[in-house]
Amino acid sequence: MVLSSKRLNSMVAAVFGVALCAHGAQAPQHLNINQLSTTVEDVVVPLPNELFGALNKLGAVNWKEHVRSDKEANFTERPRIALLLGTVIADGFIAVQAEDAPAVKDIGQRVLALAKGIGVGNSITPHAKAIIDAADKRNWANVRQELDRTQNSVQQAMNEVHDEKLSQLVSLGGWLRGTEVLTSVVKQHFSEDGAELLHQPDLLTYFQTRLQTMSEFNLPIVHQIQDALAEVKPLINIGNARISAESVKKVNEITTRLGNDIIKKG
Amino acid sequence: VNPFAKVLLCTTSLLAAIVVLPPAILASVDPTTVYARAYALLAAEPYVKKGFQVREDYWAGDLASGERKAVRQQLFKGNEYWFWLGTEVDRAKVSVHIYNSDGELAEQPDSWAKSHLAAAHIIPKTTGSYFIIVSVEESPAARTHWALAYGFR
Repeated sequence: MVLSSKRLNSMVAAVFGVALCAHGAQAPQHLNINQLSTTVEDVVVPLPNELFGALNKLGAVNWKEHVRSDKEANFTERPRIALLLGTVIADGFIAVQAEDAPAVKDIGQRVLALAKGIGVGNSITPHAKAIIDAADKRNWANVRQELDRTQNSVQQAMNEVHDEKLSQLVSLGGWLRGTEVLTSVVKQHFSEDGAELLHQPDLLTYFQTRLQTMSEFNLPIVHQIQDALAEVKPLINIGNARISAESVKKVNEITTRLGNDIIKKG
Repeated sequence: VNPFAKVLLCTTSLLAAIVVLPPAILASVDPTTVYARAYALLAAEPYVKKGFQVREDYWAGDLASGERKAVRQQLFKGNEYWFWLGTEVDRAKVSVHIYNSDGELAEQPDSWAKSHLAAAHIIPKTTGSYFIIVSVEESPAARTHWALAYGFR
């Protein structure tokens, strides 16, 4: 990309200006959010490692026991591949938490194979290579960044060909795997702060709304996820109340069952 | 650092920020959004050195002078977040602030705004949805393009 000299001058002036002047960041202490409701945009789905980072701060987690080694089935249906791709990218973040270089490298290859299966392999090849190279160097920060870039590139490529629904399934697959691991960790060593990380009712509503628009994906797994989200919602959407150990256990059972269904033919 | 060196350093950073944009974005997004995002990434750069991971995903749009937009985002207690706003419009003033789901200002006092750039910092007290309010306070343009990026550690 070539920048025009006028644009470059403008940027230089602006950057120089930043050093010289600053205007105040006054903001009202309270805002009526309801008045802004018409302008609120869609939710951006957090990466699994945002969740894992918060979980890590609550105490040591044995991430190695959450690294998945069993291979997923080969699917031909694109929605199934999209769900699986999101799950495998989330597995990449888990392997990074565990600092398991061989698992990360394997996941880099699997992500590439799945991306090819869904027709977006070209945009993923450099990222897969970067993931493998960074894993070889045990540069975990770079692996995390490349996993994020991988997911972003997959979704950009899908959006360009108007496959936004598949792109949303990638996010959903990652969210389900992240929730499965979160609940597994919190179930083992329950804490209220750990359970609070499940408080994501708007994200859950977002996924439910998106799934309702996917009637063309008439697959059992899509219906299973819809039913599962309806089961999970009352367990985590409880306002200011605390999420109980029993609810965490139930969400773990639901997401573990779904996780198995996503990676296996059935 | 003398002023000239500082400008040179910042310009290099800005060019680097544009270069690292994913090719898919360069191909599919309005050039003004690319510049706006480059400014947002420029604002993010010092924080990357402090261990913040900047998300590839970002929000973008355009607003008239005096308009604002709310973006809803799930945040997790235990993490620390910065949101960076940028625009390419000369002499525009932008701002970004963070509110919790009850509409209370939830950002840290070190949030800032400087001409093309603004940033808001939050260490969430609870896990849940927050509202990031993006505003174009003043602008010579009829519509001012903006981009909002965020990072966490």
